[in-house]
Amino acid sequence: MKVTTGILKSLTNIDASNEEIATYIKDHIGNVEYTHNLEKDYEGIVVAEIVEKEDHPDADKLGVYKINIGEEERVQIVAGDKTLQIGDKVAYIPPGHVVPISIYTEPEPFKIKSVKLRGVLSNGMLCSEKELNIGVNHDHVVRLPLDAPVGMSFAKYYNLDDFVIDIENKALTNRGDLFGIVGIARELSAVMHKKFESPKWYSNTKISISPDSSCLNLNVVNDAEALCPRYVAIAMDNIEIKESPIWLKSELIRLDIKPINNIIDITNYISALFGQPLHAFDYDKVAKEDPSRNDKVEINVRMGREGEEILGLDNKVHVLNDRVIVIADSIHPIAIAGVVGGKESSVDESTKRIIFESAMFDKNSVRRTSMALGIYTDSSTKFKHSLDAENCLPAILKAVELAKEIANGSVASEVIDIYTTPSEQRLVSIDIDRLNTHVGIHLEKDDVKRILESLEYDIDSSKGQFLTVRVPTWRKDVTIPEDIHEDIARIYGYGNIEIKLPQKDIKSKRKNRVFDLKKRVRNELSTLGLNEILTYSFTSLNSFKLCSLNPDLAYRVKNALSPELSTMRITLLQSILDKMKSNRERGFEEFGLFEINIPHINTYTDANLPKEDWHVASVINIMKDAKSSSSYYLAKRYVERILSIGNWKADYVLMADSLEQDIPEDIKCMLSMFDANVTAFIVIEKNIVGILGELKPSIKDRFKLEDSSCAFDINLNRLLDIKGMVKEYKDVPIYPTYSLDFCFNTHVDSRSADIERMIEKIINNQDLWGKVECIDIYIPKEEKGRKKITFRVVGSNYKKTVSEKDMQEISKKIKNSVEKEFDATLE
Amino acid sequence: MKFKNKNLSDIYKSLLKDKEKLDIDALKRKYSSKDGLLTDAFNKISDIEKDKRAEYGKEANELKRHIEEILREKDSTVDTYTTKDKIDPTAPFDVNESLENRAKFLDRKGTKHPLTTEVEKWTDIFTSMGFDVLESRQIDDDYHMFESLNFPQGHPARDMYDTFWTEDGLILPAHTSTMQNRAIKLFGPPPIAVVLPGRCFRNEATDASHEHTFHQIEGIYIDKDVSLGNMIATIKEFLQTYLEADFEVKIQPAFFPFTEPDCEFVISCPFCEKSGCSVCGYSGWIELMGCGMIHPNVLRQAGIDPNTHSGFAWGFGLDRLLMIKKGISDIRNIRESNLNFLEQF
Repeated sequence: MKVTTGILKSLTNIDASNEEIATYIKDHIGNVEYTHNLEKDYEGIVVAEIVEKEDHPDADKLGVYKINIGEEERVQIVAGDKTLQIGDKVAYIPPGHVVPISIYTEPEPFKIKSVKLRGVLSNGMLCSEKELNIGVNHDHVVRLPLDAPVGMSFAKYYNLDDFVIDIENKALTNRGDLFGIVGIARELSAVMHKKFESPKWYSNTKISISPDSSCLNLNVVNDAEALCPRYVAIAMDNIEIKESPIWLKSELIRLDIKPINNIIDITNYISALFGQPLHAFDYDKVAKEDPSRNDKVEINVRMGREGEEILGLDNKVHVLNDRVIVIADSIHPIAIAGVVGGKESSVDESTKRIIFESAMFDKNSVRRTSMALGIYTDSSTKFKHSLDAENCLPAILKAVELAKEIANGSVASEVIDIYTTPSEQRLVSIDIDRLNTHVGIHLEKDDVKRILESLEYDIDSSKGQFLTVRVPTWRKDVTIPEDIHEDIARIYGYGNIEIKLPQKDIKSKRKNRVFDLKKRVRNELSTLGLNEILTYSFTSLNSFKLCSLNPDLAYRVKNALSPELSTMRITLLQSILDKMKSNRERGFEEFGLFEINIPHINTYTDANLPKEDWHVASVINIMKDAKSSSSYYLAKRYVERILSIGNWKADYVLMADSLEQDIPEDIKCMLSMFDANVTAFIVIEKNIVGILGELKPSIKDRFKLEDSSCAFDINLNRLLDIKGMVKEYKDVPIYPTYSLDFCFNTHVDSRSADIERMIEKIINNQDLWGKVECIDIYIPKEEKGRKKITFRVVGSNYKKTVSEKDMQEISKKIKNSVEKEFDATLE
Repeated sequence: MKFKNKNLSDIYKSLLKDKEKLDIDALKRKYSSKDGLLTDAFNKISDIEKDKRAEYGKEANELKRHIEEILREKDSTVDTYTTKDKIDPTAPFDVNESLENRAKFLDRKGTKHPLTTEVEKWTDIFTSMGFDVLESRQIDDDYHMFESLNFPQGHPARDMYDTFWTEDGLILPAHTSTMQNRAIKLFGPPPIAVVLPGRCFRNEATDASHEHTFHQIEGIYIDKDVSLGNMIATIKEFLQTYLEADFEVKIQPAFFPFTEPDCEFVISCPFCEKSGCSVCGYSGWIELMGCGMIHPNVLRQAGIDPNTHSGFAWGFGLDRLLMIKKGISDIRNIRESNLNFLEQF
């Protein structure tokens, strides 16, 4: 939303510097995107007069002119325009100054130099409309009116010595009224304690004109009342289409709107000033195009018909449907309501008679149409922000007044005003005490009244601490007391709020256990040489192929930015593998990446939404020769450190030995990535909380990982759900410890942890304290199907020193139990 | 290649014939599927005389490798399985592994991601100020993302958020406010004080300063007689601890459907003390976050009576702050996972 301080000042009594005004807007109304001193664009450019003219001796297409720039010396210019006559007034850029349009179109603005053009010196440049950035014409040098004072700064002459402030549209989303400059002017006056009165014509709601010339036949039928609460139209005759006067062009240029012709300029000007979009149709074109009528125009507001087409002012053919409001003649659409006009009914140089339209359309409908057809116009932007139907009439009356003045038009029909659902006046009551508490200010009722009145609220009644106000019709955003609190706080100034910490009860907070666990896992893994990453939740379908995963389990993004980001990952390993590969390609060899995040699986849900469990997943690459042992055991070391955080004691069940049932969906979905003989499930109290081991060789290959790489993935929420994680404290014995090694020759399938557990039971009881550790596993070549496992037992007794005899007894117990249970012999 | 076992030898011969004739799916069906010839051959190991089993197994594995190789030639995405023996997953190390060869933790500098470090700092400070922590969802529904936050259907404010949708009509939240309704219900009745960190998504093309994935931290505070002044004080209190610097604070008008009044929280640039630098865009001020008093409709949706209670909320983008703090020039580095980047934190 662009405003200029010049236009704002012309509407108000405010008196402040440009920068002050920008700051007031930023602090009290809405964030300022940028400010721009327009006068700077025209630095050095002056009004000049052609005083001599001759042909270029060496170029047919160039003219050589001497111009008067208000100084004694005449300046020689070579120009591409040979049609200039002595006495013409032009805009002249002296050497050393820049061409205004180039400031916006070139990376480096184009600076004029004195140059010889085919041998003749040219001391500067005469500009076209386009070069001056005041229009589109680039065919010839722009002629200024003959009374333009020679030597005067062009910016001054054209009233372009103004200061532009662009306010973020986003900040005004709920303020349709601030899409007109009058709205901003009103707020600014209130902020600066200046009385503001809306311009007289603004509150002109009475029909005050009647036809003053030949009557044109115009009729309006509204068949879309539900979405078009008001439609105002009027016909005008004797229109002379021409350039707008400089004052009007200047206002538009300052607001970054290109002047086109007087009628179009009027509609754009009213729309900018007032926020009410206007449209002008060519009466004759509408009448002519309508085959069923004879020189009569009947405008029909209705819903579009499926398949109907219209050529828009954007030069594109739009196919319509029954969800689009259209303005039509008796058969064809002539405009898409509130969005874009039709090319075939548009005003051009030959137009003699016009119809002005000022209407109100449903904001949601306009927004939908604009999005569906991909047409974003100034009009559609305004309509989608709740305008005030009360404005339709004053806006059109002002347009008529201007058209009379600058297009010589005469009114040729009654004002047709179909106002089916007048906007209601809203009353809202506020409680001054609550206002003060809610905002943190100390205002008296009179201060509040003054602020509200400056925004043109009417005070309806005032009783005690309560104030009931009538909300201005243009304030569609104000429905509850809090809305008024904001108005008062804003205008009074957020800077006046008392900054005070809340008075709070002392209440202890419970820890967020998952958040806490994540933190500890992160600390643990980063201490152990792994690097944490955060990657996109999005991945590609191809990633599923590369990771051997089933893409049917994934959520798909309907409006994805690209195919690479079209599918939500079902396991963090997908993203981690991708990043492993890119880091391998950067030359990193031994490293591991981990991520703590949420995968999404569409079969793992809770009441229509995916269950969002936090996982920690990691892939680690180390460089070892291929013949070495399984890297499963590296993953296991990391996993055990994670489990040690909460003293969880896990069993590890080989994937190849387990049935696929009972595996939770979030783990099951990634089984196809792992190599079953060297992968295990992490099982705690019958819950599968995670998986660890080696990825399939094909996946290692695809992601440039060594055979000795490994991976793991743990569901942290499930881990936390498991109770019994509290390890019981055991007193430490004070008597000396003994140490014994046992080497069992057992079946190759015996699991070391099972034997360990058995020994542990034997060496721990009321009297005994002990620890057991597996220290060696060996498969002898000569004995098929056997392996030798060595355990080191360290123990003590709570009550006495363990004697030789006691040790023998313990050894015997261990030997017998293990031999019996595990088909083993003690070696 | 010669197989001693006749069955395996026959399979190998037919494989060589089928290699060119059949397509990948047919090959898989015939050989490596559940009732394919290879699987069958493996199952037959029990029929083999005991002393020949090892040899048979070896040959069967050899055959499997051939089949996989052929399948891989046909399709680069086909899986291969290892020929590794089953391990004892409960053991601390593999069999026959010498002491010095056993798996060791990586000997390199591990790091925490800088963004999670910031999240932890934030939550630590707010926890010390008496706030609960609840993390944001990454896939949510229309009700929580929009409706419960006073965005009626068709409201133009919905356009402010370029939201991603899943094909099932779910939403990838564009702000952590998607958790407000749940947080109020979960931690209510008031007083309620919660910080809500989380990952958010916005459908916008990526460049050096725009990302479709980013991190936000939301905060809500609800009690009796809570004021806009309380909000400014709370955020200021936090920022002073967090930034360890002195600065001025102010709020500016903004628009969010779920707050009223709605504001932008602005601090004077701590890097140049308001004299203007590249961090603050030479304005002397940095806009840090959107904030405001929670809209009565939002309170009502979560079962709080706006006549008796009021509250404030804020939503803060972490990525930009991280970039400012560390001097990161390209936002994409944050999630690129380049070790050269990560190692520095």
